[in-house]
Amino acid sequence: MAAGGFLLALLLLSCLAASSNGVTFSSLQRTLIVRASPTQGQVLKAGEDKITVTWSYNNTFPPGTDSTYKTIKVKLCYAPISQVDRAWRKTVDDLAKDKTCQFKIVAKPYSASNSTITWTIERDTPTATYFLRAYAFNSAEEEVAFGQTTDAHKTTNLFQVEAISGRHASLDIAAICFSSFSVLSLFGFFFIEKRKGKASRQK
Amino acid sequence: MEVEQKPNDLSTQKFPLPVDSEHKATVFRVHSFAPPHMRAFHISWISFFSCFVSTFAAPPLLPIIRDNLNLTSTDIGNAGIAAVSGAIFARVAMGTACDLFGPRLASSSLILLTAPAVFCSSISNSPVSFLLVRFFTGFSLATFVSTQFWMSSMFTARVVGTANGLAGGWGNLGGGATQLIMPLVFSVIRDIGATKFTAWRIAFFIPALFQTLSAYAVFFLGQDMPDGNYSKLHKSGERHKDNFPQVLYHAVTNYRGWILALTYGYCFGVELTVDNIIAQYFYDRFNVNLRTAGMIAASFGLANIFSRPGGGILSDAVAKRFGMRGRLWTLWMVQTIGGLLCVLLGKVGSLGASVAVMLVFSIFCQAACGLTFGVVPFVSRRSLGIISGMTGGGGNVGAVLTQVILFRGSRFSTETGITLMGIMILCCSLPIWLIYFPQWGGMFHGPSSKGTTEEEYYMSEWSSTERNKGFHQASMKFADNSRSERGKRVESAPAPVDQGTPSPDV
Repeated sequence: MAAGGFLLALLLLSCLAASSNGVTFSSLQRTLIVRASPTQGQVLKAGEDKITVTWSYNNTFPPGTDSTYKTIKVKLCYAPISQVDRAWRKTVDDLAKDKTCQFKIVAKPYSASNSTITWTIERDTPTATYFLRAYAFNSAEEEVAFGQTTDAHKTTNLFQVEAISGRHASLDIAAICFSSFSVLSLFGFFFIEKRKGKASRQK
Repeated sequence: MEVEQKPNDLSTQKFPLPVDSEHKATVFRVHSFAPPHMRAFHISWISFFSCFVSTFAAPPLLPIIRDNLNLTSTDIGNAGIAAVSGAIFARVAMGTACDLFGPRLASSSLILLTAPAVFCSSISNSPVSFLLVRFFTGFSLATFVSTQFWMSSMFTARVVGTANGLAGGWGNLGGGATQLIMPLVFSVIRDIGATKFTAWRIAFFIPALFQTLSAYAVFFLGQDMPDGNYSKLHKSGERHKDNFPQVLYHAVTNYRGWILALTYGYCFGVELTVDNIIAQYFYDRFNVNLRTAGMIAASFGLANIFSRPGGGILSDAVAKRFGMRGRLWTLWMVQTIGGLLCVLLGKVGSLGASVAVMLVFSIFCQAACGLTFGVVPFVSRRSLGIISGMTGGGGNVGAVLTQVILFRGSRFSTETGITLMGIMILCCSLPIWLIYFPQWGGMFHGPSSKGTTEEEYYMSEWSSTERNKGFHQASMKFADNSRSERGKRVESAPAPVDQGTPSPDV
């Protein structure tokens, strides 16, 4: 009974979730200018190297366009080449389902003039090719505008991050030692078994 | 020349459980650890469980591993295929090893030889090395064969379905438990302070150590047969050391083994495939987090705690009334319903409905596995090991085929793949219709009108020279004990009276 009620609740919740309308990327205006320190093709190391990002409002747009902007979030986004054959990084127009930009660099209140931050690349950033994108959010936490360091086709000004391997010498040694121990104990087993077999033959 | 020296033959006080003429237990008491029967049961399912935990330790952590090793969908698919393909050959080889060396040595050797692959998963750093460690770790799934062989050696016909189902089911549980264990171990290690890309590596030591310890338990606490270990029985002359080419010949020429291998590919093979893909499916399609995806994926495998054993128990229950024919009918029906549910699983689009359908699907899919091994012990007595190995290997072939065709790269979305997998299940379950035992019948025909007996069926595996030497005695005892497969309705030939050894009343 409880299980049935639980399943029903899950069903209802998931229906509700599915019906909420997401903002689409194609509806956003590119009103922000975003510049970052990495140059085209540069390789940066995760956990060590820093990125300096500067963003500002593009004044060529009609005044008042930025009246709804409350916060800016700058994100690290995958370039198309790092999305090939990786459905978990897919670009989808519905921003609620879009997986292009998975790493948040900073969230700051909006100001029309230049803002800069310097960010050390997180240690768990995967090896891939990236660009940077900034989203402007209104007070309802919905995206209303964006800006990015690359062009509309995401082909220019891309840089790479090289991840840490996660391996340590101690891990390597432990793995080798335990593996050898397993194989050696097998030989020990055979030796014991042969001795027992001989003993029963002598009985 | 028949040499039968069994001074304690008539007294069953030698064993804690009641036994038949082969000293196999006639009852199954799951709470007991009594040696040799119940102890063998517990050791074998625990060691098999550890192998499953190791083989499927990677899938729940794939969202982390794929970023660390820069894997593509194709790389992940290939590694998943590699994980289950090694065991195809290993299972047949294990069947042979059990026939020749006994399940205790065979399984402890395999477990110890594959433990290094699990330890070395911690140090993989590329798609190729990842594939290799999954490939070699997957060999350990061959312990399934030794488990089934061991249970078939320890338990009599009436309870063998139950024993096989419980041992197989509780072992398969590892595929579900690992989806809970690994994310949990990972978060604990990460909370202690390791980065994500190091934490998953350390996490792999847990299944590796567990596997190594279980091999020790098998070697030191296990025993091949109720009367002792093979090495002791061979040397003392009680057990005849069989001729491998003959054992192999009688296995490959028995068409029933091949049919069961195919159909097992579409219950167990499907189970392996789902173990590989389901965590990522829920993580990516429904946007749940790693722990939640792991929990949902785990519930698929955890159903094994009762569903596969349920299949075995069901097999034994229908056999009481309907004999082997009942076992075959039930197997086909349950597996077909599983196929229909699989088609449905790919079609439902909401999280709640998906979880619900997946749970019911898991019960039917796993029960079919248990039902299959209610039939396997009767296909052959002499070549039981190889037949078990072939069927088990067939399970893995099904997993490989399904993943290659449906779940590699980006040709089909995962949900389409799942529906198509359901259709494959429906088609590949049909060959069960063709299985026929002359002494008991098949799905659509009763037993042969020539009045073939169980003895004739099992004796046909031995040549007259071998029979003159008395090598077939174990098969004769088994034939006698298997008469219960006629069911309550006695349509098959009456038990033979003139056979040299008088048959006791059933």
